Amino acid sequence: MPRLGADGAPPVLPIASLLVGAAALVFAGVLVLLAPGAFTAYLGTPRVVALNHVYTLLFVGLVFVGTLQQLPAVMFVTRLAWPRLGWATLPLFFAGGVAVVVGFFRTFDPAWLAPGAAAVSLAMLAMLVQLVRTAAQRWPKDPGSHALLLSAAFLTLAVLLGFTLASARTTPALAARVGYPVQLHLTVGLFGAFLLGIVGSGQKLLSMFALSKGGPQWRVRCATYAVSAAVLLEALTAFARLRDPGVALALLAVGCFFQAWEVLGILKRRLRKKLEAPIERYVLAHAFLPLAGLALLFGQGGAAAILFLVGFVGLAVSGMLVKILSFLTWTWQFAGAATGGVSGGAPLLRDLVRNELEPLITWGLAVAALALAGATIWRLSVLASVSGAATLLGGAALLLQAGHVVGVTVRAKRRLAAAAAGKLAKAAGVEDAHA
Amino acid sequence: MTETEFTEINPAVPARNVLEALHAVIDPELGLDIVSLGMVYTVAVVDSQVAIEMTLTTPGCPLHGSIEADVRHCLGQVPGVGDISVDLVWDPPWTPDAMSDQAKRSLGFY
Repeated sequence: MPRLGADGAPPVLPIASLLVGAAALVFAGVLVLLAPGAFTAYLGTPRVVALNHVYTLLFVGLVFVGTLQQLPAVMFVTRLAWPRLGWATLPLFFAGGVAVVVGFFRTFDPAWLAPGAAAVSLAMLAMLVQLVRTAAQRWPKDPGSHALLLSAAFLTLAVLLGFTLASARTTPALAARVGYPVQLHLTVGLFGAFLLGIVGSGQKLLSMFALSKGGPQWRVRCATYAVSAAVLLEALTAFARLRDPGVALALLAVGCFFQAWEVLGILKRRLRKKLEAPIERYVLAHAFLPLAGLALLFGQGGAAAILFLVGFVGLAVSGMLVKILSFLTWTWQFAGAATGGVSGGAPLLRDLVRNELEPLITWGLAVAALALAGATIWRLSVLASVSGAATLLGGAALLLQAGHVVGVTVRAKRRLAAAAAGKLAKAAGVEDAHA
Repeated sequence: MTETEFTEINPAVPARNVLEALHAVIDPELGLDIVSLGMVYTVAVVDSQVAIEMTLTTPGCPLHGSIEADVRHCLGQVPGVGDISVDLVWDPPWTPDAMSDQAKRSLGFY
């Protein structure tokens, strides 16, 4: 049986990743507030693309790769291969991500973009090999694990495509040979990596946290097939000049539909009626899928992407971040502790969370998504400012929550360890007196 | 609710007392003790050796290491208990029917 911390990477690695990811969300809020007008015009400007990568690489990406250091051991019921590899891959991913963001800010500066994208690609390739090696020890049979494996492969592909895009800016011969596959980069990243990552890990985690037993998992499989087929079709469109009248988009919608249906199925058969606030946020995230679909139907592609990324992905990832961080830090401090677990005075997992912060995170990010989508549709910079303020509020609350979870757990462990040491010293004193 | 099976051979401590001590082991996620959750299948006491067969709500539960450690910690404080072995089993799988009525109520079943 795998144990968090014992059979994954050293817990400090994913914990640091999750904390830095939450900090990146605060940074994203500040960036929107500084230039709200950027969202009322063309969305391909350096500032908007840079902000996009703060969100995708430094927030969602870091949370994703941090989780990959521990979750596979639990999902595949085995040990993480090369558990110390994260000491190299996570800092490389972060440094590369920062360089990419700086490169976009400096008006697509290839001197920053190319090495940054290369570093992120190298880190992701190493993490993918590690993940496959981990799975190969005990190949998982459930569709959730398959979706997680595929999502990591797609994230690697997305950053490799990003590397290709960065290289094509400085090497015209490359651009002439492979074209400029921005649409493929977006589809692979948003849907292949993020949607399937949420499909795979969410299926396991939501079932576990909601005490939802059994149930068919064919919807997970259907979502995985639909998204994979869409990516393949996009690739054929980009590289083989295939004409797609919109089948890939329809397949992505089908994938989203099956994910929402699966979540409803899990909730329907759950045994734990009252869900905790972070889990409610994860569930609420799915309300943004039909909204994104509606925006797309009305020809608002930019708004649809924002509703999907900031609304669906942002809420789902921030919800799971709080739960995963609680498990990680608790297990890190108390698994196998000589003081015992809760019986020895360790706090319950739900006591690690400050409940008053949860609505701020949920509604902050939800309002941020709606306002930013509105800003792009109606060209209103005031809505972008509202979105920036809401992202800042939600991000700050998430960062505070993450810091609180870690702080309260570490302090509880120190207190118990000090009490245990005091008891031991007292016992030793009694023995000495007897002697 | 799960009926825990008891085995006693020249026990240094009654098996029921061992089960009673396990009420102190709390699942950190659910906030309920493992006996009320119906996770303890068998308690065997042979002389001072205690063997526990138990399960968890889901295979792959990341808290299994800490719950197992807590079982050892709690039983280690029971006078007369010597060696402790804890076996995690998945057959039969845990179901909510295994819980006590009070545990079901606190999770919002009724």
